[in-house]
Amino acid sequence: MLLDRSQRGWAWASLAISAAGLAMYSVEIIVDPGGARGGSTIGLLLGVVGFAFMLYAAALGARKRVPTWRLGRAQAWMRGHLWLGLLALPMILFHGGFRFGGALTRVLMWLLIITVASGVYGALLQSWIPKKMTAEVPLETIYDQIEHVRGLLRKEADLAVEALCGDLGFARKAEDDGQRAGGFTALRPIAASAGASAAVAPATEIVLLTEAESAPLRMFYLREMRIFLESPKKRGQRLADAARAEAVFANLRTVLPAVAGGTVGDLEGICGEARQLLRQERMHRWLHGWLLVHIPLSLALIVLGAVHAVLALRW
Amino acid sequence: MARTRTTKSVAQRIDLNYFKRPTPFKRAKLWLAILAPVVAMVWIGWQVFGGDQRVYSSGPLSAAHAVLEKQCAACHVRESGGFSAKAADAACLACHDGPAHHPEMTAGSAPKQACAECHAEHRGRVRLAANTRNCAQCHGDLGVAGPGSRFTKRIRSFADGHPEFAALRTAATDGGAARDPGTIKLNHALHMKEIRSGPNGPLVQLTCGDCHRPSLSGETEWKYGDANYAAAMDSYTAAEEFAPGGSRGLPAMQPWSDRQLMAPVKFANACAGCHLLTFDARFEEGVPHDRPDVVHAFLVKKFSQYAAAHPGELREVQEPERSLTGRGAGPRTRTILAAQWVTEGVAVSEELLWHKTCSQCHAISATSLQDAEIARWDAVGSARGSAAGAAVKMRTDSAKLPAVAAANVTLQWLPHAKFDHDAHRGFACTGCHQNALKSKQTSDILIPGIAVCQTCHASGPGFASAACSDCHTYHDWAKRKEVKPTFLLPGLRGGN
Repeated sequence: MLLDRSQRGWAWASLAISAAGLAMYSVEIIVDPGGARGGSTIGLLLGVVGFAFMLYAAALGARKRVPTWRLGRAQAWMRGHLWLGLLALPMILFHGGFRFGGALTRVLMWLLIITVASGVYGALLQSWIPKKMTAEVPLETIYDQIEHVRGLLRKEADLAVEALCGDLGFARKAEDDGQRAGGFTALRPIAASAGASAAVAPATEIVLLTEAESAPLRMFYLREMRIFLESPKKRGQRLADAARAEAVFANLRTVLPAVAGGTVGDLEGICGEARQLLRQERMHRWLHGWLLVHIPLSLALIVLGAVHAVLALRW
Repeated sequence: MARTRTTKSVAQRIDLNYFKRPTPFKRAKLWLAILAPVVAMVWIGWQVFGGDQRVYSSGPLSAAHAVLEKQCAACHVRESGGFSAKAADAACLACHDGPAHHPEMTAGSAPKQACAECHAEHRGRVRLAANTRNCAQCHGDLGVAGPGSRFTKRIRSFADGHPEFAALRTAATDGGAARDPGTIKLNHALHMKEIRSGPNGPLVQLTCGDCHRPSLSGETEWKYGDANYAAAMDSYTAAEEFAPGGSRGLPAMQPWSDRQLMAPVKFANACAGCHLLTFDARFEEGVPHDRPDVVHAFLVKKFSQYAAAHPGELREVQEPERSLTGRGAGPRTRTILAAQWVTEGVAVSEELLWHKTCSQCHAISATSLQDAEIARWDAVGSARGSAAGAAVKMRTDSAKLPAVAAANVTLQWLPHAKFDHDAHRGFACTGCHQNALKSKQTSDILIPGIAVCQTCHASGPGFASAACSDCHTYHDWAKRKEVKPTFLLPGLRGGN
């Protein structure tokens, strides 16, 4: 969700609710000689409102589980989650008079602070990273499919190299020919079998290089490029860096016959796409990693908050 | 041949059932979402079933009640059939009495307050005392007191509405200029300058601590004291020495430590080193610092002993050239009885003491000045009476002992407030008692005014606390009742 001008309504409403909470808190500390207390009428009211906001924010998870329910627009739910969840913090701080209290309330307060802070952090990341990803990862794919696509890229590269260097002994399953990673060379069984699309480039004739001619390519591919395609996260690889990779491929073009230039270009494109997938993975971790903190702690907060409500009413 | 990328080809590479297979990230999210609430519940359950109720506490107890951390039920009493278990006054009163504040409160003119309204618990290990606003609830508008109230009607805080200390209030409020009721004549300004220590002593510069100390018991080195006087037993009573405590019908507060208030200045500790009570050149020893009858008895004893030891002293020679009256017609020598000699010696000494030595500091009354020696020789030389007759007259005069006004020393200038000198020991005396340097009159009151206290004690950061309870107490502890002990130590500590 983008934090843009469309959030102004929620922002103003949140500000108004915060001001109302602050006014109630101020009345409490002025009127009650003991200062603000969670157990006073105003304190209880602020606590109930704060917990209600938390429950609403938590309900977003349930709402996502059943997207078919007609319970308002997803955007409204998300905005409510964001702003009411944020408001829960000042309400609870007013409720407790800015004191963290005993063991349970202290745990609750820290859970709330971490949950809200992680939510704000996530909202900021989600407002910034998607734009960055669009700019830096034009070949973005579905995150869950990155490993799968990476495998297809490797197979595509295998085929391209074997087309020049002959069989390199890579095991190949029959169904492999049915899928490609999205980049196609002259050897494109899928395109041939599925019927050539207007968008698919026509295949060109490929000449098998001699052993001596293909040696630099074979050596580069087996010792460097294939390792990069299999384990792109491994540190210190030249192909993980765009500038160094460009230099590597430029050098390769000089040592190979001119007829291999197209294949080298394909391999360079495959490496480039693999790098983008790696970048996408990293950005995705930033974009969603905070949820590993936010969601579990918010659930713990709801559970312990309910316990606190019951116990506080009793004691 | 460059690689070509189309929407179709991109779509074809995607496994359409990918969302059915959980990724490590999704799995981690799911498990953490299950684990976190479970851990939270286990933690709460562990505390509950482990019998440790502290987890419910809304905050640590005050230091005074810290021992009850595990004993929620000691204060939280559940009413029969009810769910709530709030802290009850009865639970507080089971351990300590809370006598009412003023008679007006016990008469029901003010609402009865629950203990917890002022003594807020679960606010951490801070003092359990009420804060200023608790007091200001009533004292901010003490309308119940009526127009004849002895108390200031509107006091919101130490800075807002608190009157000047009662001892310093002027005629406008209390019907007369503020005066020290004490009768000991003391010129503070004179004593704070360089002053001669005794008739022939060196010049000394006194400091406040030479006379004023918080405790008499722990301080044995008095620079200007006299150990003999300090060891002597005085016969005068506290009622003669000190002004009665308390005022306006309220009893004075009792100090909680012997270092809280300044001890009264004693002649033996602070004065005897300079102000000698010698009475006759024949004796090095001074008279006791005591009531006149004790002094008289001491003089009679001393002169009697001396006469017995020095019979030659009973024969006297008159020196006509020293007769100031010019009536030296009587005999030039005479021998008198020892009893007469003693009587006359005592009379002469008492004239010196009552009219000079004692009256320098004390208000002496019921005695008139006469030159005993001149009177005696006049009597001896006159035709109207004999020497024995004169002696009898002198003896009669001596028996008429003077009255010494009660010292009326004020022990507690703020009888209804606590002031701890010991807590302020880092400050120079004259920083607060500024008038001590220039006061010449006994009647001057030298305690600092409220403005001096407010220099440091005010609200806000950078100031010392200015809460009502710093100086005052709510409960009238004179009315306290003893309570029956409730707790057993092992059970209390074990939380059972």
